[in-house]
Amino acid sequence: MIKAAEHLDHESGNGHGQAPEVHPVRVRILRQDVAGGESYWERYEVPHEPNMNVISVLQKIAALARTRDGRRVAPVAWDCSCLEEVCGSCTMLINGRTRMACSALVDKLLAEDPVEIEIRPMSKFPVVRDLVVDRRRLFRSLERVKAWVPVDDSYDHGPGPRISPEQQQDAYPLAECISCGCCLEACPQFTKIELSRGDAESEADFEARRRQAFDANFVGPHAISQAMLFNAHPTGGMIADERLEALTSKGGIQMCGNAQNCVAVCPKRIPLTRSIARAGRAATVWAIKKLFDR
Amino acid sequence: MPGVVAAGPPPILPKVSACDGDRRVPTAACSTPRKPPVSESSFLERNQFLIYRLFSLSGLIPVGAFLVVHLLTNASVLGGAASFQSRVDMIHSLGPLLVPVEVAFIFLPLAFHAAVGFLIVANGLPNVGSYPYVGNVRYTLQRVTGMIAAAFIVWHVLQLHWLGTPVGGGQFDPHYASSSAAVAIRPLWVTALYAVGVLSVVFHFANGLWTLGITWGIWTSPAAMRRANAVSVVVGLVLAAAGLGALGGLRTLDVDQARATERWMEEQREQRLPPSGETSTVQPTSTTGKGE
Amino acid sequence: MSQPKILVVGGGLAGLAATMRLAELGVHVDLLSLVPVKRSHSVCAQGGINSVNTLTRQQGDTEWKHFDDTVYGGDFLQHQPPVKEMADWGPRIVDLMDRLGVPFNRTPEGFRDQRRFGGTLFKRTSFAGATTGQQLLYALDEQVRRREVEGMVAKYEFWDFLAPVLDDDGRCRGAVCQDLVTMEIRAFPADAVVLATGGNGLIYGRSTMSMVCNGSAVSRAYQAGAWYGNGEFIQVHPTAIPGADKLRLMSESARGEGGRVWVPRKPQDSRDPREIPEAERCYFLEERYPKYGNLVPRDIATREIFDICTNEGLSVEKDRLCVYLDLTHIPRETLDRKLGGILEIYEKFQGVDPRTVPMKIFPAVHYSMGGLWVDYERSSTGGMVEGSPRNQQTSIPGLYAIGECDYQYHGANRLGANSLLSCIFSGLFVAPSLVAARGAGAGGVDPARFFEAEVRRQDERHRQLLGRTAGNENPYDLHQQLGNLMTRVATVVRRNEQLVEAYDEVCSMAERWHRCAVSDTGNWTNQNVVFTKALGDMFPVAKLILKGALMRDECRGAHFKPQFAMPGIAATDPIAKREEAEQWCDRFEENTAKWLKSTIAVCGADGEPEISYQDVDTSLIPPRPRLYGLVGGEVIEEVWKERQAGRLDVNDQSSSLAAAVG
Repeated sequence: MIKAAEHLDHESGNGHGQAPEVHPVRVRILRQDVAGGESYWERYEVPHEPNMNVISVLQKIAALARTRDGRRVAPVAWDCSCLEEVCGSCTMLINGRTRMACSALVDKLLAEDPVEIEIRPMSKFPVVRDLVVDRRRLFRSLERVKAWVPVDDSYDHGPGPRISPEQQQDAYPLAECISCGCCLEACPQFTKIELSRGDAESEADFEARRRQAFDANFVGPHAISQAMLFNAHPTGGMIADERLEALTSKGGIQMCGNAQNCVAVCPKRIPLTRSIARAGRAATVWAIKKLFDR
Repeated sequence: MPGVVAAGPPPILPKVSACDGDRRVPTAACSTPRKPPVSESSFLERNQFLIYRLFSLSGLIPVGAFLVVHLLTNASVLGGAASFQSRVDMIHSLGPLLVPVEVAFIFLPLAFHAAVGFLIVANGLPNVGSYPYVGNVRYTLQRVTGMIAAAFIVWHVLQLHWLGTPVGGGQFDPHYASSSAAVAIRPLWVTALYAVGVLSVVFHFANGLWTLGITWGIWTSPAAMRRANAVSVVVGLVLAAAGLGALGGLRTLDVDQARATERWMEEQREQRLPPSGETSTVQPTSTTGKGE
Repeated sequence: MSQPKILVVGGGLAGLAATMRLAELGVHVDLLSLVPVKRSHSVCAQGGINSVNTLTRQQGDTEWKHFDDTVYGGDFLQHQPPVKEMADWGPRIVDLMDRLGVPFNRTPEGFRDQRRFGGTLFKRTSFAGATTGQQLLYALDEQVRRREVEGMVAKYEFWDFLAPVLDDDGRCRGAVCQDLVTMEIRAFPADAVVLATGGNGLIYGRSTMSMVCNGSAVSRAYQAGAWYGNGEFIQVHPTAIPGADKLRLMSESARGEGGRVWVPRKPQDSRDPREIPEAERCYFLEERYPKYGNLVPRDIATREIFDICTNEGLSVEKDRLCVYLDLTHIPRETLDRKLGGILEIYEKFQGVDPRTVPMKIFPAVHYSMGGLWVDYERSSTGGMVEGSPRNQQTSIPGLYAIGECDYQYHGANRLGANSLLSCIFSGLFVAPSLVAARGAGAGGVDPARFFEAEVRRQDERHRQLLGRTAGNENPYDLHQQLGNLMTRVATVVRRNEQLVEAYDEVCSMAERWHRCAVSDTGNWTNQNVVFTKALGDMFPVAKLILKGALMRDECRGAHFKPQFAMPGIAATDPIAKREEAEQWCDRFEENTAKWLKSTIAVCGADGEPEISYQDVDTSLIPPRPRLYGLVGGEVIEEVWKERQAGRLDVNDQSSSLAAAVG
């Protein structure tokens, strides 16, 4: 039935033979060798392929390890994993805007700027190296708002609470947050915290100081949305007050400036501003109750 | 660092950082890490939520409410000097209470709103260049108009309110409301500044009304936000019309005629009210003749 | 050691489930992962999670039937007790995930909704939109975060597992790992180490797997002596979107909703597909399988698509193998309602709207059924003994494996929506075993010297790599060559002559790897060296896959060798048909006796795999032929049933005899 499977060149998208008019893709990348180091631009050029995304450009640059003028350089470092916009790893600033490198198609970027594609690391998180940034603060925010369902244990207690399809449809988009950090990057109210360890400072002291800095500053739209997700869950809502306490403490929901960039840049189109407004309402009611129930 | 720096622009985002638990300040100010901060935080930090909510509220009540009354009152100048004067008289009928009322319900809330507002502006990083979305433009404009409004209001108060008298201002005479105001704004540059100031204030208020609804959770869904936005736009347009209308009304005012009317009205008042300050039976609504 | 501690490597569904359970049992866990655990590959799973549920139960479904479907789907290659245990746990696992807040789709009354998946007649699959894996992972991630705040879990994200640390008795006492930011190499002492590091799709270059699925941790354990089971069984999904960087999954539901697969009859017809008239299109699945049409089983769809492109030369494009998956005949609003999510993926990554233009798709490597060999303790009821330290333990005492990186649950072929179940199940189930194992190794010997030695060895390896600047090989190019080779010879169709050649080629690639030059010699977030290291560790696994495939002269599940295929009945005459069926069954029994065995690969001293075979525990459900779609299948089935009945009679007789004697 099946004859020789020769020439299974699984190579995809090789444009040879049909690429008379496509120019090589030119890229400008803002590089940085170490955390806290100076940044500098480098330019690269890779062959164009149909349906190419920024990840494949970076892969080619890594293999090439040469700048456009032929200088041998260390490959550009970047984060990625799933390449289908669900793991949240590959956020970067491409042509000035925060987006996922995997779903940033080269042809569309070239339509924005036909000369060159510009790639920079996220600006709101400390750069580790090149395009790799440290997003621990993003996850710390999830701890701040207790973004979990406080179950007793993982033994068998039968199914979870009944939930209407409407509730599920309301919750599901919020649960799709991939922690990419696009909303934080674009938020004018969310500013970078970059600390360096003091000479005499122990690792533990430094960690404590960093955590304190994180906790004193804006928690971010993603965490507000997660707080609303769990407050709406029948079991999750049992600690709703604790989440509202967190959202109304320093760096909480009040830091939102209503620019609504979060919702505009969210690759998963999560209704973040709806969550923020709901959190605002919940906080209003909660604060009044707290005042009068005391 | 490696020699070849391509011709592209350097990263333009302002470099900011944080010092310990404090507010973020430019990097230069916090180059060396201090000891881990003591966990007790300041009053401001502990009550950040409350302060920001009061800030939001103060923009509507009383500051915003005053703005609406003020602009609508001013617009009455379009109905002639008399109509404007009678409204001014009504306000000034508070007599000795006017100053405490002004301080408690206008100046202090305004000062509070401005102070917190400056703090907010200082901590934000507008990025409308990278993200030119409508919401973001409005975010930026809200801050810009807030600053303009603050400057404008200071100038406006000094120019017209009696508080400005020591610095050569205080040009508004409540007995000669239209005419004194008309004279004060008559130079074209003053009118222009007023137009900018009034539009800034109105934008700031109308947009603030919309964001306030989100902040307090009055409108939560995108659809509700759109509807609320339409309302805010209408409010803004009405107030802008009122503010600009007042300016136009003052510019086209016949000052001499207005002054005559005002003088006549003042005489009327004085006739009705004996200097002793006894309560008049004829005009129960007016208690005293002169404000200030 | 004072504080008992377990090291979990890998933070996908399995690793997180284990961590959550362990923390709950009061054991401190070090959780180590290449990426922040929330970004693990489990997020990519779309379909759902299988379990018997109240609805299917009332339609006659049982845990046993789920178990039966799983082993039948896996062509009986898995030991049955663990699979039975997993099927038994199914309902409570889905209940648990429900309690953890997973937004499963709901019925109007508020119960969990279920859909039907391949390989079963029941609606067993609970799902959360089109991102069930993501939702399950997040729920576990949240619980682990909660335990982290409580201080029970310490996360080490952006860390790479380099080697297990074995003491003189060959017991695992911890591991040596590397910080991918600072490049620091250090030891993690632990009472037990659990690998939950997923599949190894990167050995195939591009696959549907994430970039972290390089199989390096498993390979390193294998090189340290752990056995590798059923390596040659790799699932290839029929429909994926080819991309230069990765092959993205296009869910089976596209065909379920009426999608048609075709190619132009004229090779590489350059016309717009919409312009090609019906008569000039070849709907090859519908033509060859009129009964099942486009919904033939995965392995058949995969083979047919592969065949039409490679052997008949009818690929839509010349440089890139693909066929059309056409949805354009379905009304737009229907598509949006039923397939919105997955169509958006296509649109997003291909820049083309699949509602108006046929999609281009091709099969892609999707799942590793094989993995580290793990043990289990059989219970009297045919399941596993909960809490036995043998459960999920590799051939190295103290080293455990769970999730996709073990070989235990899916046999020769995995059923859709069973992987999420096996990952969570093995994670939860291993926890009490680890607690029980804790005491086993604490023999009073201070293991410090073993750690020091291993750290030194790994430091040495790292430094050597950093110093390799002069070689003429590029690791990325070499990886691409390896991937292309493996995809060509060790996926859908396997041929011995190709496998022999490929094995030699991989050996020479492994040699060439030693000449790889690193272009980054720094010691800070050096992804270049980390990649090169992982690439080096792909060769031993690639070799065992090839050798396992070469030696297994049969067709079973995902492993297909045309030379050993058992075609259906050719005869038409009833007597001849019957005769052929008898022969077929003879051959099947012969083949079962010879090949129904787990492939066990042991890494030889020279790095070459030594293959041996181990009997499979099929004591609960006797193996039977898979006849789906086979010509004359009904006759074979008839013969087979008669034989089974005869065998039962004999058994009955002998047992009654025994009873009489007793």
